[in-house]
Amino acid sequence: MSDLTKSKIRQGVLDVALMLLVVVIALAIALVFIAIYGVSPGRAISAFLQGAFSGNFNLGSTLSKMVPLTLVALGWIVAFRGGRIQVGFPGQIITGGIFSSIVALKISLPIWLHLPLAVLAGMLGGGLCAWVAAWLWAKRGVNEILSTLLINLVMAQILDWWVQSPFHDPSTPLPQTRALPTSSLYPVLLTNTDLHWDIILLPVAVIVIAFVLARTVWGFKVRVCGANALVARHSGISPTRIGTQAMFWSGALAGLAGASLVLAGTTPAMGEVFEGGVGFNGIAVALLARNSPWGVIPAALLFAALAQGGQVMQATVNISSELVGIIQGLMIMLVLAATTMLYLTQRRRRKGPGERELVPPPELRGAELGATP
Amino acid sequence: MISFAAIGVGPFDTNLLSQALILATPILLAGIGELISERAGVINVGLEGMMLSGAFFAYLVDWKAHSAAIGLLGGIGGGLIFAVIMGLLAIEAGADQIVAGVAITLAAIGLTGFLFEQIFQNLQQITVHTVHSWSIPVLTKIPSFGPALFNHDPLVFLAFILVPIAWFLLFKTRWGLAIRAAGELPSAVDSAGISVRRVRWMGVLCAGGLAGLAGADLSIVQVGIFHEGMSAGLGYLALVAVIFGRWKPVGVLAAALVLGGTNALQLRVGEQPYIQSAFWGAIALIALIWLGFQARHRNAPSMTLTALLVVAGVVLLIVQPHISLTQPLWVGFPYAVALLVLAGSRTAARMPSALSVPYRRGQS
Repeated sequence: MSDLTKSKIRQGVLDVALMLLVVVIALAIALVFIAIYGVSPGRAISAFLQGAFSGNFNLGSTLSKMVPLTLVALGWIVAFRGGRIQVGFPGQIITGGIFSSIVALKISLPIWLHLPLAVLAGMLGGGLCAWVAAWLWAKRGVNEILSTLLINLVMAQILDWWVQSPFHDPSTPLPQTRALPTSSLYPVLLTNTDLHWDIILLPVAVIVIAFVLARTVWGFKVRVCGANALVARHSGISPTRIGTQAMFWSGALAGLAGASLVLAGTTPAMGEVFEGGVGFNGIAVALLARNSPWGVIPAALLFAALAQGGQVMQATVNISSELVGIIQGLMIMLVLAATTMLYLTQRRRRKGPGERELVPPPELRGAELGATP
Repeated sequence: MISFAAIGVGPFDTNLLSQALILATPILLAGIGELISERAGVINVGLEGMMLSGAFFAYLVDWKAHSAAIGLLGGIGGGLIFAVIMGLLAIEAGADQIVAGVAITLAAIGLTGFLFEQIFQNLQQITVHTVHSWSIPVLTKIPSFGPALFNHDPLVFLAFILVPIAWFLLFKTRWGLAIRAAGELPSAVDSAGISVRRVRWMGVLCAGGLAGLAGADLSIVQVGIFHEGMSAGLGYLALVAVIFGRWKPVGVLAAALVLGGTNALQLRVGEQPYIQSAFWGAIALIALIWLGFQARHRNAPSMTLTALLVVAGVVLLIVQPHISLTQPLWVGFPYAVALLVLAGSRTAARMPSALSVPYRRGQS
């Protein structure tokens, strides 16, 4: 075994150990919160585990929650590898859902055509929503973080209006669309659960994104732009064009997640709050996975279990499921702190005399704010 | 609440002016804090979370202590909790500031929601003590706009007084020089024997404290209640205000007034059965003023866009179509305006050079 492989393996083991440590610390802090409110940690843990994994129904819910989280996390990775930090996933999920709902409700087709069309419409919607921010960045120098945050807020209001006025189901006072026709929905995979066929998107998307980023010319260009925009420009790659494309596909993945949420949801209709925080949690998943497409699978499983187990925990031991939000925020903070510390100690150790300076990985460099191309 | 006769055209009256000042206040408070932080080189996307935390802790402390004044301190504390986390991540660990900000917002939404549900779930909606409004003795007596300008809660006055104070501190004191240098060329601050870390910490704490106060303004000054997700994007608007204000106190003031005014207008026009002609007139007028501003700076490509906006405003003013928008779309209106404002102004050149770049000695 060569030295390079050895050090790569050592690095990988270290990474995994560090992330496990982060998870354990975050969960321990959550247990402190639980204990403050007079619930014994043992009871809370067993309620949580039962809620997340026990029985077909709970397990199915956990798995089905993984799908949108994975897709959004992959979307973050695509944009991030291209050097773009876009945080517009909630808005892109909503746009994707709206586009899917148009195709689902306005066209009637056989299922083999209707479902793919609705899903593609969702991808297109998410991509377009991200493209607006990408265009503003490329042409007007608008910082994509702020523009995507603002687009999120606008899209939330548009969804509010969408399910109250043009697509509102007149038979209910609830803000939701009419029931979507079965021909546009993902079929159920496991009866009496929320697990739909969209679960196959999970391995497919991970493999495709991992392959595209690691083995294709476009993926290489994306990585070069993200690693060093100057080098990219000197080698004839336009960071603006590649960055715009990366953001479009990142949004398209979020749109795909939106389509899954609408077309494989618990109810066959699109409601006011169907996004349910998936947009930002997907970012947390990607960070916990250290921006590796393969790492997304365990990280998404953890977050889906947290969401599902948290809901059950609220019902059985009366602890607010908002606790999950605290855990997720904590995990991102700990991941940030841990990776930075790891990088700094490694740099200190390796920088012997005559050795070259290590280039910090992109996640440790400040984002290029408002970098006007 | 407002008992004087409203004077003006359509929705543009002194009530709107008064409302605009009230709604500009949280944006201005948080914006001034963020301005100092960004000048010191730390961008704080967690502003939204700090504001929410300020709103919740102000409400909680006010409820426990039966005093709005102590509640305001609670609000500042609520903002500072997350500012300390931001400082630890961004300054001490040197982590990515934007991701840290997103984490802070997520954690703040979780923490306030969790505590609110755990503490208040079995209680009725509680309205806490609010801060009484002050009226400036002589100036309130000015006919028409006097009451609209000079009869407000103290935070409105505080926010506006902070603008010259921030200007003085940033541009006329040694402290301000160190702050600005830490955002432009931190290594220079370091070689002058001043700790970059300490300077940046001060910036971050200013942002957190003022964002917390802005949150307190939302919960215990404006309404006296708290609800989950109360800050509703105002923290992001404060970030926009700093950029649109070109990292200058007066600019932040102008931006906060534009955004607060848009928000006030949205509330007023949203009530009407259809959009009144005065609204179109105002769009044409604002666009015209903006056009003049752009002409001075020779900003050619966006001038065509603005000119189109003027024409559109005038045409709609003449045609007077019966258009009505539903409530949600009006709520989204200020954010859309903020987006347009960002697209229409090229400000990257004025940005502090070292913004969001972690400082590590001997590595620049």
